[in-house]
Amino acid sequence: MAEDTRTAVLQPTGRLNMVAAPALKSLIEESVAEGRDRVVVDFSDVVFIDSSGLGALIAGLKCTRQAGGDLRIAQVPEQVMTVLRLTNLDRVLRAHPTVADASHDW
Amino acid sequence: MTGDYVLDGLAVPDSLDLLHDLLEQVGVEHPELAASDLMLFETAVIEVAGNVVEHGKPPGEVRWQFRLAVRPDRLEGTLSDSGEEYPGGAWGTDMPDLMDEDGRGLALATAVLESLVYQRSGEVNEWTMVRALS
Repeated sequence: MAEDTRTAVLQPTGRLNMVAAPALKSLIEESVAEGRDRVVVDFSDVVFIDSSGLGALIAGLKCTRQAGGDLRIAQVPEQVMTVLRLTNLDRVLRAHPTVADASHDW
Repeated sequence: MTGDYVLDGLAVPDSLDLLHDLLEQVGVEHPELAASDLMLFETAVIEVAGNVVEHGKPPGEVRWQFRLAVRPDRLEGTLSDSGEEYPGGAWGTDMPDLMDEDGRGLALATAVLESLVYQRSGEVNEWTMVRALS
């Protein structure tokens, strides 16, 4: 199997709030700029997300899709899942159980 | 069991962690609270506080005080800030379009609270947040 050079896995940690969100957004943009336009955000070490974090995910979704790729999320904890549902963003960001599940069939 | 908490500080991004830490402490000291109630209340508090950090004027100079009352039937938080008065209708509680990158904060807070009230009280802005316990 050919090496997958288009997929990047990002693993933010802790609270994805207005302090951390800009860094996540930049990391996704850098990944796309390097040709890795299929981005999986692994939420296993995230304990909290706020609307700034959601904004970074939406920015990432737009950025990856514009490049012909996509952004997926995996291992999503309860608070993040609840916030995605309340904001209807679960319609555009489907949660995958594991990074492996999220990383194929793009 | 009831409890009262107060936190003072500067309305800057790094202060948000102190609010998170306070709510974590509340969870430890009030094991009777359902984790989901505290989690959703924390979500609302951080959104309201984030809004003050982002829109409070003059930027970086606004001070706030957060008071939290744990009561048998509710969690009630009041965030008072020293910033200028927010213009009338300053916030939207409608959820923005799916692909919008911002504008969700107070809509999200409203969705998880029984009530969210803003009022100008003397020289301070006051945001009162109530979550009825499940």
